[in-house]
Amino acid sequence: MAPRNKPAASKGSDLRIFYIILALVAVVGLGTLGARVLGSRAGGAVLEPIELEGIENPRALFEMARPMSKGSPEAPVKLVVFSDYQCPYCAQFASMVNLRLKAEYLDAGKVYLEYYDFPLGGGHKHSFVAARAARCAGDQGRFWEYHDLLFGQQSRWSPEERTPLAQFEEYAGQLGLNTEEFRSCVRSDRHADVVTANRLLGEQLGVTGTPYLLINNKRVTNWGFNDLKRLIDAELGE
Amino acid sequence: MSRSVPEAVAVAEPEVGRAVLRGRMGIALLSLIGFFIAGYLLLHRMGLVGPLMCGFGDCDTVQLSQWSVFLGIPVPAWGVGGYTALFVVSLLGLQPQFMAARWVSAALFGMAAFAFLFSAYLTALEAFVIRAWCQWCVVSAVLATGIFLFSLAELARLRRR
Repeated sequence: MAPRNKPAASKGSDLRIFYIILALVAVVGLGTLGARVLGSRAGGAVLEPIELEGIENPRALFEMARPMSKGSPEAPVKLVVFSDYQCPYCAQFASMVNLRLKAEYLDAGKVYLEYYDFPLGGGHKHSFVAARAARCAGDQGRFWEYHDLLFGQQSRWSPEERTPLAQFEEYAGQLGLNTEEFRSCVRSDRHADVVTANRLLGEQLGVTGTPYLLINNKRVTNWGFNDLKRLIDAELGE
Repeated sequence: MSRSVPEAVAVAEPEVGRAVLRGRMGIALLSLIGFFIAGYLLLHRMGLVGPLMCGFGDCDTVQLSQWSVFLGIPVPAWGVGGYTALFVVSLLGLQPQFMAARWVSAALFGMAAFAFLFSAYLTALEAFVIRAWCQWCVVSAVLATGIFLFSLAELARLRRR
């Protein structure tokens, strides 16, 4: 009996260690999942792209996607932008539009700007809800002001670990929006469909990075002001 | 007269080698990890865990693609079901009363082979069709490969008998 009991005892000890490891993995797994579920309660705010029906048809997707626009629709040059609120280069581009393009081209009726959301996701985990927040401000007619504020304050809210809904609501207050209305919009799924459709449209067009620009449907790779000015002037025939 | 558990283990041992038992422990451990990963993706799909943590790759593109549903059921749900089944059967295979059962070996090898092939199919979709990677899918594919390798001991056992 002795020679047979020894391996059995050794197996019992193996099993004991195995069950301890299994229990540790179970505790860590359940703890991590539980923390994620509890930590994600952002008051019902939809924080990322949603599933959309009927998007297999490119035309349906194109109709579902809706840009925000600036300038005259009659302008001879159309500048299309796909942008992400957590992307630092997009913040630089937004600043350049306001400081240099706006007066010379947009206000002069030469350029019409269409802005599409392209929340990159991944490390930019707040960019989807930021895009929704800007559109919630748009519901009260202040999209561009809010857009500028989000990009201007990017370094403050973007690194936050938790969803920065409180900052977004504070910015709405700074712009004099009806904060209750804004709050109920952001803490819901409103505009999640349009922001998702905008991103999917960008994917179909081959957008991989932001800001992604098109001037009269032609891809722009260098978006420094001088490059952009040259391209716009060429389209204007100047 | 009923046998004590250590005696039962000792009696069953000649039929079930140490490699098979170690393999079952390995399958149980990897399938438990896989269960939590698939569970995380499923909870994410249900909107219960906020944005997906995605260290590398583009998880959103993969999760939103048309291939994230298989036979009308979300792929993460297949993962939860598959890993649960592997976990339960591998644990049963470590109990004295089921240790020598042929169906345990057959079930473990069959499920592991299916999981491995299914993961290979999903990985090929990511590489060649979706052209985007989801880190959790990659980890799950590695786990499925490990489980399949552990299950080869079950195949060897089935062939011996």
